[in-house]
Amino acid sequence: MSFRQPSVLPGFGLTFGFTSFFLGAMVLLPLAALVLAAGSMHWSEFLAVVLSRRALGSYQLSFGASALAAAINALFGFMLAWTLTRYEFPGRKLIDALVDLPFALPTAVSGIALATVFARHGWIGRYLEPLGIKVAYTSLGVTLALTLISMPFAVRTLQPALLEVQRDLEDAAETLGANRFYAFRRIILPTVLPALLTGFTLAFARAVGEYGSVIFIAGNLPMQTEITPLLIVIHLEQFDYRGAAALGVVMLLMSFAVLLTINLLQAWSRRRQLRAAR
Amino acid sequence: MSITLDQVTKLYGGVPVVNDVSLDIGDGELFVLLGPSGSGKSTLLRAVAGLTGVDHGSIALHGRDVTRVAARKRGVGLVFQNYALFRHMTVADNIEFALRVRHMRARARRARRQELLRLVSLEGMDERLPAQLSGGQQQRVAVARALAHKPEVLLLDEPFGALDAKIREELRRTIRAVQRELGITTVLVTHDQEEAFTMADRIGIMNLGRLLEVGAPHELYSRPATRFVATFLGAANLFLARRTADGIRMGAATVAGGEPPGSAREHEVVAVVRPEEVAVAASATGLGERFIACGVVDEMVFSGALERLRVRLTDGAAAPLLATMDAAATPYVEATRTQHEQRAFELHRGQEVALGVRRVHVLPTPLSSFTVCAASAPAAEALAREPLLAALAARMKTRIAIRTEPQLGAAQAAPADPAPFVGATVVSCEPHAAQRAEWLLRHGAGEVLVLPANAAVPQRVLIQWLDPAVREATLAVSASVLRHLPAEAVQGAEMPTGPPSGEVAPELARRLAEAQAQMLMVGVGDIRRFAERFAPLLDGGRWPVLIVHRAAP
Repeated sequence: MSFRQPSVLPGFGLTFGFTSFFLGAMVLLPLAALVLAAGSMHWSEFLAVVLSRRALGSYQLSFGASALAAAINALFGFMLAWTLTRYEFPGRKLIDALVDLPFALPTAVSGIALATVFARHGWIGRYLEPLGIKVAYTSLGVTLALTLISMPFAVRTLQPALLEVQRDLEDAAETLGANRFYAFRRIILPTVLPALLTGFTLAFARAVGEYGSVIFIAGNLPMQTEITPLLIVIHLEQFDYRGAAALGVVMLLMSFAVLLTINLLQAWSRRRQLRAAR
Repeated sequence: MSITLDQVTKLYGGVPVVNDVSLDIGDGELFVLLGPSGSGKSTLLRAVAGLTGVDHGSIALHGRDVTRVAARKRGVGLVFQNYALFRHMTVADNIEFALRVRHMRARARRARRQELLRLVSLEGMDERLPAQLSGGQQQRVAVARALAHKPEVLLLDEPFGALDAKIREELRRTIRAVQRELGITTVLVTHDQEEAFTMADRIGIMNLGRLLEVGAPHELYSRPATRFVATFLGAANLFLARRTADGIRMGAATVAGGEPPGSAREHEVVAVVRPEEVAVAASATGLGERFIACGVVDEMVFSGALERLRVRLTDGAAAPLLATMDAAATPYVEATRTQHEQRAFELHRGQEVALGVRRVHVLPTPLSSFTVCAASAPAAEALAREPLLAALAARMKTRIAIRTEPQLGAAQAAPADPAPFVGATVVSCEPHAAQRAEWLLRHGAGEVLVLPANAAVPQRVLIQWLDPAVREATLAVSASVLRHLPAEAVQGAEMPTGPPSGEVAPELARRLAEAQAQMLMVGVGDIRRFAERFAPLLDGGRWPVLIVHRAAP
């Protein structure tokens, strides 16, 4: 027989057809519509919207806070994943399940919950207020909300990678004379670095697109705590569809640029690792 | 001494996985730790490496106490079963890892690396990644890596476990050659006895966390001291035999025993007969004095140079003296024959043969078998089914015989059965247990086990002798039992002895009540007023008590 199936799934022709249809219908088509909507604007009109001071401020906050949130998650998510994979303690399963909660919760609920806790008279906010730390209605609150909702992405990406790092490797490093820090830097970190970058990327992507949770805690002051998705919604509420689309296109391009950079970085680090780590 | 272990104990959740191990390994020696999985051999190796702390005892390397020293400062090289190579580094970087840690200059590093690669015959593989090497090559890299920093001790944890037979043999030879060339003290952990035989200068055999025996391979094979070692190192037939003034009586034959009989008293011993020491002939006359029993060939397996036989014993008269693990099952004898023997006397399945014994080794173990003794047959049978007794007998690979003594414990009565009491006699913990024990001791029983119903497998064993004369016997019997239990031994403090201050039983009972699942080994020399003195401990007692009695000479 010349038509031997290599696997249970149908052949390449059919699977590739489905892949392109699916990607096209679900991802590319709506994005094309977005670009088209923005394209109907005049060039100067477009620039006026996307380079307005308010828009520039919102990009800075959106991408800055998202990058910060993803970085925080890469660090603390690593610790969390480490604790969950390395240690056996009572309540481990419970904590493991808690990690997924931000996935399941409607983001607006997370936002309301954060606002309740960190508002001026909230459970924690009232103790931070005398110290001069304001969380609600500041960029700090935005970062906090973005950290919360993107946390599961970092943890869940790192967990399987950490499971792969065998104990024996650390034991081997130790008998060879390496202290814990050295073993971590030379053995563990290089092994999980690709997963760490993926986790960072996913968390960042999730945070950039976040809207629901932020609006409750951000206070939405233009130039201060207004994120780009919110600015888009504001344009929509004023029936300025083309302005909204213009901002959307900018976000799209910037996100794509960031993700591409990280992916290239990742590929480069994998190649470098394969060549040898110095 | 390169490695000195002194009473090393490691507990996991209160259970000893390494139990009181003391061992000296000499300079340049290749020492093999052999044992079944779960025997604690890998844990012991990790303790030597410093990757696992110990709960008691001390470890010294070249005279330096390293018990509390971190693994990275111990100067050992460790090789793992799964190689544990750093997969993102090249062979060169793997090998140089320990040298980089020590900030060695690049040129010196390269020279050392090339020297090591030559040693394990992997020249030119420097820039390969582990994934590009075969399993055998990866393990060679792991050996080179472990030797890079010139450790004083090389530790190998089942290094050939993941390799196939051919590669395994080749790597064995390499490691042996490297070890000889460097003269490095090496400890190798394995569960494979053939590997142990081919590699070892000396072998230490572990089971249930204890180091049972240490010796040169041929010594352990021909003169094992314990049942476990006898059966774990190669195949062995274990027989219950009688030591008499003339020698060792087994079945129909009396064979000259290895050592001269220690005491005139006839007693039961455990005899080891290797399958190759079993002679097979057409009839008893062909075997002469060595004949022990007749049997039927039940199974024949051809395995290259040797033919393995399983012969079912049919000789009714001799069979009771020959025991297998399960007293109820038909006793079998295993025999192997060389090609030469096969040609001289061809066999087929179902054939009747006569069996003889060429060479017998008697184990020095003082506990040969168990005999449960009760006033009625049902009571004795119930006692024989006690879980602790059944577990002990199964672990000791011995049998439980049943003996009914209607007059058990009656002061004036003599035993109904004229045969002597052999092995350990077991009675239940009913009222009058002390009286019964005294009766048995008076009528010649050397060891009496008083067993409560449903006793748990002990976690701690208290050892106590009430007379310095029985100290040695008590310790020997205790060691024999402890080899088969994952329990911690606690030697009792000095006890007031002799009749005037006879209040030892309540004190012992108090100590037994201190912790759960304890067992007592008590040695007594004087059995006057025994029942009276020990009634508080034995009558309706909750603890298994093994009484060891040796009459004063």
